[in-house]
Amino acid sequence: MRTETKRIIKRLLRNPSAVLGFSLLIFFTLVAIFAPIICPPQSYNPYMIPIATWDKTPQPPTAEHPFGIIDGRDIFYGVVWGTRTAFKVGLIVTLVSTLIGLLIGSVAGYFGGWLDEVLMRITDIFLSIPYILAAIVVTAFLGMGLNKVMISLIMFGWMATARLIRGNILQVREEQYVLAARALGVNDYLVILRHVLPNTIFPVIIQATMRIGSLVITAAALSFLGLGAPIGYADWGSLLNFARNWLLGSSGEAFKYWYAIVYPGVAMVLFVLAWNLVGDALRDVFDPRLRG
Amino acid sequence: MAAYIIRRFLLLPLILFGISLIVFGMIQSLGSDRLLAAYVNPGLLDKLTPNQLEKIKEKYGLKDPMVVRYAKWLKNTLTGDLGWSVVGKEPVKNAILNRLPWTVELALYSIIPVVFVGVWLGIVAAVNRDKFVDHFVRIFAVVGWSFPDFVFGLIVLMIFYSMLGWFPPGNLSFWADVVVKSPEFKRFTSLVTIDALLNGRFDIFVDALQHMVAPILTLSWLWWAYLLRITRSSMLEVLTKEYIRTARAKGLAENVVIHKHARKNAMIPVITVGGGMVIQLFAGTVIVEMVFNRTGMGSFTAVAATQLDYASIMASTLFYSLILVIGNLVIDILYAAVDPRIRFS
Amino acid sequence: MRSDTVEKSVLSVKNLKTYFYTEDGIVKAVDGVDFDVFEGETLGIVGESGCGKSVTSLSILRILDEKGKIVEGSILFGGIDLTKISEEAMRKIRGKDIAMIFQEPMVALNPVFTIGEQIVEAIVLHQKVDETTARKIAVDLLRKVGIPEPEKRVDEYPHELSGGMRQRAMIAMALSCKPKILIADEPTTALDVTIQAQIMELMKQLQKEYGMAIILITHDMGVIAENADRVVVMYAGKAVEYTDVKTLFNDPKHPYTWGLLHAIPRLDIEQTRLYNIPGIVPNPLKFPSGCKFHPRCEFAQEKCRIEEPDLEEVAERHFVRCFYWEKVEEAKSKEVGDRR
Repeated sequence: MRTETKRIIKRLLRNPSAVLGFSLLIFFTLVAIFAPIICPPQSYNPYMIPIATWDKTPQPPTAEHPFGIIDGRDIFYGVVWGTRTAFKVGLIVTLVSTLIGLLIGSVAGYFGGWLDEVLMRITDIFLSIPYILAAIVVTAFLGMGLNKVMISLIMFGWMATARLIRGNILQVREEQYVLAARALGVNDYLVILRHVLPNTIFPVIIQATMRIGSLVITAAALSFLGLGAPIGYADWGSLLNFARNWLLGSSGEAFKYWYAIVYPGVAMVLFVLAWNLVGDALRDVFDPRLRG
Repeated sequence: MAAYIIRRFLLLPLILFGISLIVFGMIQSLGSDRLLAAYVNPGLLDKLTPNQLEKIKEKYGLKDPMVVRYAKWLKNTLTGDLGWSVVGKEPVKNAILNRLPWTVELALYSIIPVVFVGVWLGIVAAVNRDKFVDHFVRIFAVVGWSFPDFVFGLIVLMIFYSMLGWFPPGNLSFWADVVVKSPEFKRFTSLVTIDALLNGRFDIFVDALQHMVAPILTLSWLWWAYLLRITRSSMLEVLTKEYIRTARAKGLAENVVIHKHARKNAMIPVITVGGGMVIQLFAGTVIVEMVFNRTGMGSFTAVAATQLDYASIMASTLFYSLILVIGNLVIDILYAAVDPRIRFS
Repeated sequence: MRSDTVEKSVLSVKNLKTYFYTEDGIVKAVDGVDFDVFEGETLGIVGESGCGKSVTSLSILRILDEKGKIVEGSILFGGIDLTKISEEAMRKIRGKDIAMIFQEPMVALNPVFTIGEQIVEAIVLHQKVDETTARKIAVDLLRKVGIPEPEKRVDEYPHELSGGMRQRAMIAMALSCKPKILIADEPTTALDVTIQAQIMELMKQLQKEYGMAIILITHDMGVIAENADRVVVMYAGKAVEYTDVKTLFNDPKHPYTWGLLHAIPRLDIEQTRLYNIPGIVPNPLKFPSGCKFHPRCEFAQEKCRIEEPDLEEVAERHFVRCFYWEKVEEAKSKEVGDRR
């Protein structure tokens, strides 16, 4: 496994987009970790962007507020702490929804029969509601707040994983080595755990990585609509919400508020880009058949 | 294959039933107090005594057992009574019917650039693998895919409206709106652009289009990047197949090999994905309409969610899900039409 | 290189070299192949997987991968050198004067078009007939290759036919323009043994009828024995022996051929173990020095490690690429003597 890992790393390093993706990811991780040092919190809840001025008009960047001010709050602070929010939302939602998907998909795939049928119908039903819509609806019912957003994203985010793992299991189930294990009398759960899952896990990991990107976008979209984080929360989506109001309210002059859009926007694009590139790179390495 | 299609058709009501259960369940979980807002003006609610509130609850059946409530709701929905929309200040059914055409129009116009640009560029990239064109197109695609639609929309708004003033937000300019709402403007298709042409009002046609360019650009941006990637990989895979070699061995010109033999096969997975993507276009209208301040199903749904207009939310959800489910069915039929191997299994 | 008469030689390949330029290095897939194909005859090209026999045929039709290039040699057909003509001119020859069929008809036929459509396409491309006539020709062709109910089959898709029928359909498609040469790349490898025999029988019959030459590529010595007139044995991209089939089996002169023949299980003598040539086919990126076969050769000497032999005519119309082919002869006569 060690030489295998070395080979994988070498291949990844040869691919420029992979290098870019990983570098960006490392950069964001560092920003997130060092957020308290870069922008010391000024209240008991570090995620609430401190108010810099009571004037609600956006202020352009200055030395003190390098990204400018919007709705009276420091954009730089918002972007930096927003990195933590992005990671939090992205990683937690992906992790939990993947686990749920794994559970449901494995059970359906391995045991088959009516259990499979029922679980797949349920999956179909959940899949029939467009993601963003589902998120909106659930958030509407659960109320505002980032945690509620995460719950709704998890509730409707497990299906793809479930299908994927189920499909893989159906394939692997018929493979010789699984039949051999069962013929030896190994019990079902051990077979799944030790034979089936290790061979089907990589596509799941790759898919999860690719999902994080769109997940963060959806979460931000909800904040943008005003359904997610409370006002003033360090979240890229809600920063952009402010920006929209100012943009639509004026014309001909709104370019002077460019900083309100560009800084949070660029942060978001780069973050999602990083995950997409990493996902692509992983896929190229582990499943060359899919390579573009 | 006919059997397969029929089976899918039969599953449709089942799936819709399932969706309705989910959404209905969520609403009912809020408790009868919050639900009152769907029936009574919230301003009035504060002024009522608990006794009166109870009576109202009974009147609207909020005290009935869940099953009964669902049955009533189901009956109402199937007969077209979708409740009252707080946001629209009109029956939900009317609210939807008034806004639907705008969204449909937007989505339909968006399909064209998405499909043509995405597929065409995908083929170009695949055929010119690893050359400059390929790298350029792929970077374009990855960046496009990473761009949140609302961020892109905001930037478009900033550049093309705030800075250049070319493409304003909204559906129509004020003067055009007046004309469209007047009785002289006859409605044939309820799609403004087509009706404008049919009414001989080219100026309104142009105005409507002007307002649509930016939203279409935003809606399609994300998706043609995705379609491009899928087309490219599909095409690349097909080009390695043996039958491409046979086609060349027969002496066919290279562009015939690519556009006749390769493309038809490459399109098979693209249709599946592309179809799903068209459906997502509809879902995308929620954000895009909000960014550009347009009237339509999308913004209606978003506003209804923020204002907790439950009747509207339920109706919208069912509507979007219906589109999705039917859309998937259409894709499956298309898929069978294109791939003869499916037809006979 | 040779003293052959050029009489009735339909195709003449001289010193063909085709290299692939890959990320990991240059792969010399074909590195020196010479042979002639005569009218009405079958030339067999035999060798293990990876020896370059398929690439040779793809070079003739010039339908190589992007990374492959013919770097040296000539392919003379009807007085012109195929390696030098334009792509447009080459296309007129492909499918019309020289046709090719492939190993696995399931993947070699386009799944989304009916076999009728695919045959008609070939016909209409090279001949000036309209579609209705072309369709009739297609049906006749299907009948000729032995497909029952051709009027029905012509509108069916490849996946609706059995393996043997698909191969017949491919043959029909290849023959639609009455080519002078048919290249058959492992045409029966993917088929059941009984079907194999039928297909080879069909090809022989059509060959007589059309008077065409066949280049038969295979790894199966049995197929060679039954169907070829002359044979080229290939190893590591080079032709190592080239003679007529009888001589090849009775009087082989190259150690590799010797090994191949010994690997065929025999019914007439006692065998306690099946023989196979020791060692494995070399990695094309890391060819051995000198003669490419020397690490596996039981007759190898010091010279073989350093120098590479040329293809030489050592008997009438019998060419060998080996310094010590006489040792093979010796071993052969000893064997025959032992058996007497």
